[in-house]
Amino acid sequence: MAAADLAQYVVTGLLVGGVYALMSIGLALIFGVMRVVNFAQGDFMMLGMYVTYFLALAGVDPLLGALVVIPPFFLLGVLVHRTLLVHVTGGGDAQRLMDAQLILTLGLSLIVTNGATMLLTPMPRGIRTAYATHAFAVGGLLLNQARSYAFAMALVLAAGVYVFLTRTDLGKALRAAADDPEAAAYQGIDVRAMHGLAFGVGIALVAAAGGLLATYHPIEPTVAVNFIVLMFVAVVLGGLGSIPGAFAGGLLIGLVQSLTLLVLPFQLQNVGVFVTFLLVLYLRPQGLFGRRLRAV
Amino acid sequence: MRRLLPMALVVLLGVAVAFALGERYHHRIFTLVLVWATMGLAWNIISGYAGQTSFGHQAFFGIGAYVTVLLVVTARLSPWLGMLVGALAAVLAAVLIGLPTFRLAGIYFALATLAYPLIFRIVMDYLGYQEVSIPMVRDRPAAFMQFGDPRVYDLLALAALAGTLLLSDWIEGSRLGYALRALRANEQAAEAAGVDTFRAKMLAYMLSAAPAAVIGAIYAHAILFVVTPEAVFGVLVIVQTLVVCLVGGIGSKWGPLIGAVIMVPLSETLDATVGDRLPGIQGVVYGAALVVVTLFAPEGIYWRLHALRRRRPVGERAPAMAKPHAVAAPPGRASAAPGGTLLEVAGVSRAFLGLHALDDVSFTVRTGEVLGVIGPNGAGKTTLFNVLNGFLGPDAGDVRYRGESIVGLRPSAVCRRGIGRTFQVVRTFPQLTVLDNVMVGAFAHERATAAARERALAALETVGLTSRADDVPSGLTTLDLRLMELARCLASVPELILLDEPLAGLSRDGVETMAALVRRLRESGVTVVIIEHTMYAVVPLVDRLVVLDHGRRIAEGAPNDVVRDPTVIEAYLGKRWLRHADGLRA
Amino acid sequence: MKPLALLLAVLLAAPMTLLPLTARAADDVKIALVVPLSGRWARQGQLKKMGAEMAIAEINAQGGIKALGGAKLVLREADAGDSVEKAVSAAQRALTREKISAGIGAWLSSFTLGVTEVAERLEVPWFTLSYADSITERGFKYTFQTSPVSSVQAEQALDLVVDLAKRNNQPIRKAAIVGDNTAATVFFFKPLREKLLKAKGIEIVVDEVWTPPLADATAIVQKLRGTQPDIVFYGATNFPDSIQVLQKVKEFGVKVPIQGVGAWLVTPEYVKTVGKELLDNIMSVVAAHPLKGQEELVKRFTERTGEPFMTQDPLMAYAHVWIIKEAAEMAKSADPRAIRDAVAKLDLRTGPAATTLAPGRIKYDERGRRIGAAPIIVQWQNGEPFTVVPAEYATRKPNWHGAK
Repeated sequence: MAAADLAQYVVTGLLVGGVYALMSIGLALIFGVMRVVNFAQGDFMMLGMYVTYFLALAGVDPLLGALVVIPPFFLLGVLVHRTLLVHVTGGGDAQRLMDAQLILTLGLSLIVTNGATMLLTPMPRGIRTAYATHAFAVGGLLLNQARSYAFAMALVLAAGVYVFLTRTDLGKALRAAADDPEAAAYQGIDVRAMHGLAFGVGIALVAAAGGLLATYHPIEPTVAVNFIVLMFVAVVLGGLGSIPGAFAGGLLIGLVQSLTLLVLPFQLQNVGVFVTFLLVLYLRPQGLFGRRLRAV
Repeated sequence: MRRLLPMALVVLLGVAVAFALGERYHHRIFTLVLVWATMGLAWNIISGYAGQTSFGHQAFFGIGAYVTVLLVVTARLSPWLGMLVGALAAVLAAVLIGLPTFRLAGIYFALATLAYPLIFRIVMDYLGYQEVSIPMVRDRPAAFMQFGDPRVYDLLALAALAGTLLLSDWIEGSRLGYALRALRANEQAAEAAGVDTFRAKMLAYMLSAAPAAVIGAIYAHAILFVVTPEAVFGVLVIVQTLVVCLVGGIGSKWGPLIGAVIMVPLSETLDATVGDRLPGIQGVVYGAALVVVTLFAPEGIYWRLHALRRRRPVGERAPAMAKPHAVAAPPGRASAAPGGTLLEVAGVSRAFLGLHALDDVSFTVRTGEVLGVIGPNGAGKTTLFNVLNGFLGPDAGDVRYRGESIVGLRPSAVCRRGIGRTFQVVRTFPQLTVLDNVMVGAFAHERATAAARERALAALETVGLTSRADDVPSGLTTLDLRLMELARCLASVPELILLDEPLAGLSRDGVETMAALVRRLRESGVTVVIIEHTMYAVVPLVDRLVVLDHGRRIAEGAPNDVVRDPTVIEAYLGKRWLRHADGLRA
Repeated sequence: MKPLALLLAVLLAAPMTLLPLTARAADDVKIALVVPLSGRWARQGQLKKMGAEMAIAEINAQGGIKALGGAKLVLREADAGDSVEKAVSAAQRALTREKISAGIGAWLSSFTLGVTEVAERLEVPWFTLSYADSITERGFKYTFQTSPVSSVQAEQALDLVVDLAKRNNQPIRKAAIVGDNTAATVFFFKPLREKLLKAKGIEIVVDEVWTPPLADATAIVQKLRGTQPDIVFYGATNFPDSIQVLQKVKEFGVKVPIQGVGAWLVTPEYVKTVGKELLDNIMSVVAAHPLKGQEELVKRFTERTGEPFMTQDPLMAYAHVWIIKEAAEMAKSADPRAIRDAVAKLDLRTGPAATTLAPGRIKYDERGRRIGAAPIIVQWQNGEPFTVVPAEYATRKPNWHGAK
């Protein structure tokens, strides 16, 4: 295989991975701070896609729409946390809490998917953008424009979250609440409010990811099933709870999907992803970028 | 027999329902209830009893379905036999998946197990098994599990349910059940009490894979008629299983049954009433039902009911009094000659991130003595115990027990060789009663539950905790907790006991009780090694002392000699000893 | 433990009594429609429902079933949802809670395989548009497969395409196979790959099959660009996958004739999502599409539903309802067994039942396959799909890709 072809595979993989990365950091934030495995994450992404779509019908460019959805979805996330998740987070037997969270987010996912099917009809929709079918040519390589924009914005948003977490007082409080909720509470940090903040930001991020995805991907009420597993894989690859890790995990999935094609039949593409996932779990259970060893 | 009664009632009731129902559709719902209850029970064995939440149990369900159906299609093998082949294949798959995956815990284990059915699904599609329909056999339908009478499917699924219920019941009361509940609560404490946690988890995984495969095969024949990767390996299978178990309550054989009895008919009723008229609404209502259940019974309906009808027996309870009895003699183990070398620590080193927790430590423990290991915090005392009982491997050196190296043995194996230990911070199995806690240790040398109970009761009597046998640990005082942990250790019939700061946090009376107990233990022939950082309490208790500082052994000998050893005083004891002496006088 | 057992007893028994058995209305002839109405395939189920409802409205407006004293037709929908379990449950429910004369469904071939098993056991005639050969290879007496089966489609469609290319002086020498590995696609590709193409001396230059969802189409389109096949046999049943491939084809500026395999490629949502320019000239093999002379039918449908055009799903459901009507007339009975026997004997050449589908005849063979069922080729032209082959049914002339 020519070097140029290989380079194209790598670039394609990274571009595909960019949106996985953005999808995953919200999930990673929620897990990192609250230890909640949110099965409804993909459904919030779907809602983000629809809102971006309706904004696009009203003339808002979807790249802008993806940013516009952030504040309302932040509020939605805070609201969902206030009304539902507070009841299954906080103190108690970790195992029992995890079980309750599973069922709660599963129920939430069913409500959102089916509610969307009823209200928005199952008809697939799409935003027709010029950049979905055009590419930047860079030294013989083709970079799809929609994916490139999505990648760039994913990078900016992820960096924004990272700076927020590491440089601001609120972000530091959030991390303190994540690392040791008890100690944080003693220092006067309102851990419950921090959970609400994390959930809100996590939902806003995945909604923005949905908006970016909508620039080239059709929108259906069940669109989440195509991505939810990969989101979890990305979060685990990067180290559960690590934001840069989840970002890198997303990129890695795109890369593995792309490069798997060189060694395995196309049909087994995702086998490559899942085998990579298992190898990372077995050999480095804290994830590629995990700080702490949480597994045995 | 009494414990079989409720199960017999459930089965009788099932038979009655099977014959009472008329509508085929109602039979189908009933079969589905039984199928998902069985699948839930199978999942509950590994994820409920053993606490290893699996998101990948549909792997075994799907293997059962595919193996059985492919054998029908390709080899005309009756599914009655094919089902057994499927179950065997599933058990084999469980071993292969479990071997690498049991290294992981918690959410990591759960997500790793999820990868397997996802891979299987892709591979089945790749192999061209997108949809394998079960051929209708008109001449010998019964031989191919094809029945016109829907009651037969009810009874078939009911038989699978009954078998899985019996299996669950057996596990709950068996040595394995105690091991699983112990490791679920605290894996390290379980290991130290003699539970081979890896083996127990693997056994539970295999036992949960087999019924999952059997019910998968029945599901294919009674419900699907056509096997597709998505229908049997798909995420919906594990979602349904999780719903049934988590709504009903996990860790009990009744939970999945209750969950299935409520959720499956609920789902079908929604489909049949509102779903056909307003498609999608059934999903919304079902989702809302899940949310409501989580908010009102996050631990599951069974445990919610259990808590409601549980009346704690109140009444007079005498404070625990230590009335030491003779410890039961170790069975079938040649007693070592008093005064000889029982344990030899030779040049053991262990470092963490370049920090020497233990640095070339050597000493011996003689049969029948009480040896104190002292040193300030951070001297490496607990690390030493962790190396001795197998939690940690030494970087260098050897530990020989009765002349044989025990380096590399699992802690449970070390325990069964006769070395018991307690922890600096007591490690209990919180959901188990005091008696059950101690029974976990008793199973190190007993297979039968009744014998283990006897041994555990004897150990409780030895430490004077008999009156607390039926309490849960959360109600116990620090002294009682330490006594319980000691009883758990004694129940495993150790020859050598490693006590990690047994006096910490005890009142003066408590210290007296514990000290008296240690003396009695020695009189009964058990060798004891005690870690303490306060010297005043151990000096009168021990025959010899080993002093550690910064991971190094700096002195060894009779207490009085060590206390007078100028090196020890200068290097380590100086101020500290004076302070303690002051404290004693005050 | 006893109270617990009692509780279990109550819980077990209670929901069973809750399920209402709808009272049996006297004279209506009831048709069950078991299709996905929620979940991933709900859109297709809705389209089928539109077609069936239109036929029922027309029949009832014309006086119902005359042989039964003007009995009205009634549609009973049951939601097949998104799993085989739910689909079979839906069929079981629909067929046992009231007397159903015939059934239609269940769109996805794996659903159909399960659902027809229920119909066979309950002896209710069942009509399906699913393509899989296996549906009518089980010796069932109550299953009627109206579409040409996959293997026939592959063979005949290839003939049509090769012929069309030849007539446009662009004979096919190199072919590409691109698609997913869902059952419908696999069963079409298998004979192409194993014998049909070789028999015509056509070389397979690209053979890329993926498992949905497709992550990215770049590798596929690169290969198409590199090999320049004369035709691409294309089967991407998952809408987002298909959109990705088409977008990528445009992005890379690849000019290859795309020959879809299945009706999934001719739905209105394609126009809205990728635009008509990208679709123009793309062809697809389908089992049914509006034919020459059916303009009136299509107009009634679009006015009724607001859909921009009519496709295989509503058309087949429409035809199926009419076939059931004719069978009931012939049987002079609403009894499903009588209707089944009538369907087996039916040989219609006139009326909406026969003329809706090419070649204008409804007769099923002993396996339950429609005699003469043959694929037709549809082509996107100016944002609408038209029947282009065979010529006698065509509503437009075919534009061979890029040919003048």
